[in-house]
Amino acid sequence: MIMLLTGMLATAVLAGGVLALAALGEVLAERVGVTNLGVEGLMALGAVTAVMTVSSVHSPWVGLLMAIMVGAVGGMVFAFGAVVMRANQVLCGLATTFMGLGLSTALGHSYAGQPVETTFGHVTIPLLSSIPIIGPALFGQNILIIPIYVLLPLAVHFIMFRTRHGLNMRAVGENPAAADAAGIPVMAMRFWYVTLGGAMAGMAGGYLTLTYVPVWSEGMVAGRGWIALALVIFAGYRPIIVTLSALLFGLVTALSFVGQAHNWPIDPAFLNMLPYVGTMAFIIVPVVVWHRMRRVMAAPAALAQPYYRDVR
Amino acid sequence: MATRAFQRLPTAPAGRILALRLVAIVLSLFIIAGVLALSGHSPLMLAELILRSTLGSRFGLEDLALFMCPLLLTGAAVTVCGTIGLWNIGAEGQFYAGAIAATGVALGLHGPALVMLPLMTIAGILGGMAWIAVPTLARAFAGVNEIITTLLLNFIASLLTYYLTTGPWRDRISGAQVSTQRLSVSIPEMWGIVHWGFPVAIMIVVGLALVLSRTRWGYEIRMGGANPEAARYAGIPVRLRIISVMLLSGGLAGLAGMFEVAGTVHRLQGGMANNFGYLGIVVAVLARGSCLNVIPAALLMALILDSGIVMQTQQLSASVILAITGLILFMIAIGDELAHYRPVATTPAKGKAS
Repeated sequence: MIMLLTGMLATAVLAGGVLALAALGEVLAERVGVTNLGVEGLMALGAVTAVMTVSSVHSPWVGLLMAIMVGAVGGMVFAFGAVVMRANQVLCGLATTFMGLGLSTALGHSYAGQPVETTFGHVTIPLLSSIPIIGPALFGQNILIIPIYVLLPLAVHFIMFRTRHGLNMRAVGENPAAADAAGIPVMAMRFWYVTLGGAMAGMAGGYLTLTYVPVWSEGMVAGRGWIALALVIFAGYRPIIVTLSALLFGLVTALSFVGQAHNWPIDPAFLNMLPYVGTMAFIIVPVVVWHRMRRVMAAPAALAQPYYRDVR
Repeated sequence: MATRAFQRLPTAPAGRILALRLVAIVLSLFIIAGVLALSGHSPLMLAELILRSTLGSRFGLEDLALFMCPLLLTGAAVTVCGTIGLWNIGAEGQFYAGAIAATGVALGLHGPALVMLPLMTIAGILGGMAWIAVPTLARAFAGVNEIITTLLLNFIASLLTYYLTTGPWRDRISGAQVSTQRLSVSIPEMWGIVHWGFPVAIMIVVGLALVLSRTRWGYEIRMGGANPEAARYAGIPVRLRIISVMLLSGGLAGLAGMFEVAGTVHRLQGGMANNFGYLGIVVAVLARGSCLNVIPAALLMALILDSGIVMQTQQLSASVILAITGLILFMIAIGDELAHYRPVATTPAKGKAS
């Protein structure tokens, strides 16, 4: 039983890390007023970049760095359309996802099915095998766990809620016209935070292939980008809550693994549905049960609205 | 950065949109040609080959119509949802749900095609509606963002299809992978391999255009999309309209799944939705909220898909087409925004209240 719980928690931490990274990046973008629906595509690009880099350089660090850079470039492309050109954010995001998914599959074609030989740490969780006997989930894992779960969320929280820069940042998302009048560079703020969010989505993809599922296959991101987007809404655009809910969400994923490993009398297909069903419950149930939460957890007022200085 | 030499208009003139979209598409084609040339293909040869085997051959034209059929319906599904200001990103899942429901009828009941086809149609529509029911209720009563809920259901529908086609409904006769056996009924063919679903889909789209522009219901939907507060104030039951529009949208996507399963694929198959649901979003965007525009938009999208088949024969991965679609969508989104700008003459422009 203890072994089961340890294994489950280990999987939860690993699986949740992917979501935590992508969701934290999206919190940054949405706090400055931009919905980036391209996360799924950027994650796929990051994942394939990491696989391709590692197969020639054999260093997970270089692979992760490349994934971050590719994510940043993808984020910039999206930001060019959605922020600089002020085109429809939903469309630009979907277009980014299409481009990311298509490109990653085309690029990764010759890498499909090959295991990634150099990954972070020595802990690899095989998908359908029994629960591995490993140390405590939080400390016996790969080296990235602490930065993902502790350092990054705390840093983002501190900057966002304890510094002047963070105040400016939130002002851009709540009321860009007022922020502009106060001399805050609205466009630059949006552009760079969306880029940073893209970099984190790319990192999430790289983390996915370098720790969690160390093999590239088409469709392997499997909606994790969309789940990350849902978590941002669920967590009310708060960096620490979003990280914790990613962990909670990792547990849902872990539950489906446990079920498969223990041969529960449920078809694997239904267990695989758990993360998606769980996400839907995550964003529907709280709003229905706690009506008042809707106001507390409300989105930034100017979310998804392009800002035009001349049209005021 | 908008300079003062341009003034942004609240609505863009249709002519300028068309012109800028042409520029966007041509620009995308140049980028694609550049990438292809860099990866060692000859863009000119490829373009000639594509034109010859899509528009230039009967086989290509038949394929074009078969691609158009589901795109018309999923495009219309996203478009009707868009008229009330909502995004149905889940047409892919509703497509599967419709296909599953229609297959269920075909596998479970036996009878003449004249009875079976209407039953399968109804089942398909109801399947699509059932699939959008939860997002609909969550949106109408709790204000839950429909983009994410509809989208998540796509993954569930695809897993359900996988379960059915490898589990209880798997093909026990020919042993085909992730597929049911061939259905005993099919939509009759009218021209080569093109089935009657194609003209029916066009009629549905035209009918929807009429309903949206000529009926009170359509007017209320458009009002609700343009200004929900004003619509509520005017006594339009916006919540009810949201429910009816989303269910209609799901039903249309479900019907697309039924047509595909009964007319083109003839069996329920894993991956049979072929991104038609997602591409329906592109079609709807190209159509800019007008059902009639769905027809040329679906034609363009079908042309891109048809070209994708040719590119596959040239050792280009099938997923390249998804990337190309994304690029074109991206460029068109930018072009549509630029169409709002009007150069301002030397006299300072009067600020237009929006």
